[in-house]
Order: sequence, then structure tokens, then C-alpha cells
Amino acid sequence: MRAPFLVPALLRFPGFAARQDAWGRLLKITAGGGELSTSAKLVTGEFVLVDFELGGERLVIRSRVHHAYDDDDGGRVAELRWADMVERRRLVRALLDVLSRA
Amino acid sequence: MASIGLLAKEAADRELLGLMLGELGYSAEGSARLEEALESARERRTRAFLLVDGGGADAESLTRELIRAFPLMPIVVALKTRDASRAVALMRVGAIEVVAPPWTPEELKASVSKGLRFQGTALTVASAAPLSRSPVWYALAVGLFLAAGLGVASLKRADANRAAAAARVDRWELPVRHPAGLAFDGKSLWLVEWFTQSFYSLSPEDTAIQVVRHLTAETPVAAAFTTEAMWTVSADGTVIRRMRDDKMTPLTRYPKAAPNSAGLAFDGLYLWTLDARAKVLRKHLVDRELSVLSTHKWTGVKAAGLVFDGRTLWSLDAAERRLNRHHLARPEDVIEGVPLPEYAEGGFLPAGVAWDGARFWTVGSAADGKGPARLVRHKEGAR
Repeated sequence: MRAPFLVPALLRFPGFAARQDAWGRLLKITAGGGELSTSAKLVTGEFVLVDFELGGERLVIRSRVHHAYDDDDGGRVAELRWADMVERRRLVRALLDVLSRA
Repeated sequence: MASIGLLAKEAADRELLGLMLGELGYSAEGSARLEEALESARERRTRAFLLVDGGGADAESLTRELIRAFPLMPIVVALKTRDASRAVALMRVGAIEVVAPPWTPEELKASVSKGLRFQGTALTVASAAPLSRSPVWYALAVGLFLAAGLGVASLKRADANRAAAAARVDRWELPVRHPAGLAFDGKSLWLVEWFTQSFYSLSPEDTAIQVVRHLTAETPVAAAFTTEAMWTVSADGTVIRRMRDDKMTPLTRYPKAAPNSAGLAFDGLYLWTLDARAKVLRKHLVDRELSVLSTHKWTGVKAAGLVFDGRTLWSLDAAERRLNRHHLARPEDVIEGVPLPEYAEGGFLPAGVAWDGARFWTVGSAADGKGPARLVRHKEGAR
């Protein structure tokens, strides 16, 4: 299923990374991870806190950048893996709720 | 050229962004107020909007108004001040992209082209995050594939080898019924047949009979070859040294030198005989009388053959159906026993043994004494 819009996400980084908050769009959301389009220069292996809303549920999930590359527009596409199992379960519930209404 | 509506309160922003959009190949129509922007969009069939947030303009409310008028129009917002939360809030109300300051043509290009192209978030529960394969992963996958291919090829080759081994003939039926011994002269196998009093020369390739020699005056039971002579022993125990010519011309006779002989072997210096009845191995000096140098107890059940393989003596036990390896200095000691599974069925009894330099050969007579004899080439590991 495809949503009628791209889910916006606020990106926050661990304190030691000394990076400003950033934002992006989730191109894909699954139970295991997601695909993010952003202008932030994410690199493979780093952790990022992804804050977004899905089905009226606000989710803040710690994620690991599994792979990142520059897209044709000069932006960045990052493949994320959800690292927070508790939030992941909440996400799955939200996904099931959204999909069941589609 | 796509037309982009540009809505910015300040003229400097309109000028700067308009120039950038022009650089990127878009036609930009700048407006200071919402009404102007809406009017312009209706007239010029605008493809997208670029709004400036800040400097007296609230992009959030402007985005809402524009979406109300043009629900499918992509809206990109350029922030005058970097604020991630504000950016996300703008996206939640409908902005397709938010550009952070300082504005650059590259950022604008990425945002506008994405805004014109993006569809919506794909939602699914089943699959995990899309896998992204690193070069190492691909290298490992290719390596695994090749290894699997090689493994399959190896298995097929092993199967083919097994099939070839199974197809290879290691047993031959012979046109004789009463074999008594077997010997190898370096080129051919020699079968000793007591009933017809004959020697048969057999090709080791296909066991075809090459030469047949009849001895009318004696009954041969065993034979052995040296480089210059052929030794035979008869049923009455007479050992004869012969020339290796076509007639097997006798050179020397040693009457009753090896009674009840089941086998004859030459180790390069001494002649060895195996007495089946007394169950002893005799070591003979090759002199005028073929003197017995020593006698050694043979511990088998039924002696049937004797052979020297270049290192040690081997005797054939027909009852136990196995080859016994003897210590050359202490022949009464059996240092190894090699079973002969080819005779396990019991249809044949081994009657003679030979060594061709690589493998043992045995000849067996039918257990009932009526069928043809069988020649067996044993596996290389039998030694």
C-alpha cells in the first residue's frame, strides 16, 4: 500500500555526534526498517533518532543507518533498521492499523 | 520549461530564488502576496510553488491556503532560519520539501525535482527494510555460488568415477576348472592348471590367453619367476628351474625339494616354499641341492599360495579367504592380514596369488569343482 503523501520525519542525533537536527521524508516504512530521503549527510552505521507520525501515533525510533547513498538529485537516501524493539512493536501495531483501514 | 510560483515577502528573496530557479531551467513568477500568487498560478499553469518562511511570512498558513486552492500542487518551502521542528511541521501541513538556509541552486534543484516526482510512502508489514548489498556481500555471494558449482561438479565427477569403477571389470571367468597357482613374469600372468598339466599365459589387460604350455610328464602346482629363470613345483614335490623360453626348457631338477607345495616365491636371493600339509614355510638356498636354510611355522588354516611383492612375503589362506603378510626376517610372524571380500560369497575358493607390481591377483576354483575358475584383480588398497 502507498500513502497519499510522504511521511515527514524529524531526525535527531546522539549528543556526541554534535550534529544539528535534520528532517526528511520516509519513502518506505516496514516492520523492520524504512527508507529515508533527506538532505542530511547520513553515513552507514550511524544511529539516528527518527521522529514521525503514523496513523495518529507518534513514534520515536532509534535506528541504525544500514546503507546510505546519494540520489540523482544530490540528496541522500538512507536505508534504516529500527533498533528499538519496543518502539518497533508500536510501529507494527500502527502499521497494521493503517493497513487494515486501507 | 516548467513554471514555478514563487511567493516571498521580501523582494531580495524573490530576486535570489528567482535567479536560482532560472539557473535550474524553471520559469519563476515571483509574488509578494498570496492573492498575487494564486492569480499567477491560475494564469500560467504553475507546476509547483516555492514559499519563503520568515521575514514576515508564515509559510504554514500560506501552505494551507495554497493546498486549499490547488490540492495536488507540490509546495516547497525555503526556511530563512534553520529549524528542524518547523520544517517537519511545514511538511505535516502539506509542504512536499523544506529547504534549509543558506539556499543553494543544488538544494533547490533537489527539492523541486523531488517535489515534482515524489508519490507517497510505501507501507508494508511483511518485509524488513530493503536490503542494500555491499560489494563484500556480492563477492561472498559469487564465491558461494562458485563453490556450490564446484561442489556439484565434484559430486558429479565422484559419481562418474564411481560409475566407471563399478563398470570396470575386475573378475573374469577362465576356460579352466582346476587352477593350482598363479604367477607374474613382469608382463603376463601365468596360470598353473594341475588337471590339464598346463601353464596358461594371460594378458593382464583383458585376461586373454596368449600362450598355453602342456607338461605331459609332470603335474605343476605352483610357479615363480626370476629375471632369468622360471621356477615350477610339481605335485610330487619336484622343483624345476627352467629357461624362460617358448618351451620352458628345464635346467635343473630338485626332486622332492618341496613336498605338498602350495606356493613358491623368490625374494631375489632365496627361494621360499609353502608346505600345505606340514604348514611350514621353507627358505631354500639356490644351490645344487636347493638346501633348506630355515623352516618357519605357518599359522594359517589352508595354504593356497605364496608371493613376494618386492618387500615382504604374502601367503594365501583359502579357508580364511585372506592374504597374510609375513615378516621377512621372522616369517612365522603375520604382521598384517588383508581379507578378500571377493571370495566372501563362498562360490569360489582362492587357489593362487600373484603380484603385478601394483596389485594382487588371485585365481579361484569353483567351490563345487564343476564351474569355470575365476580370476580376480584386487583393489590397489589391498596391499
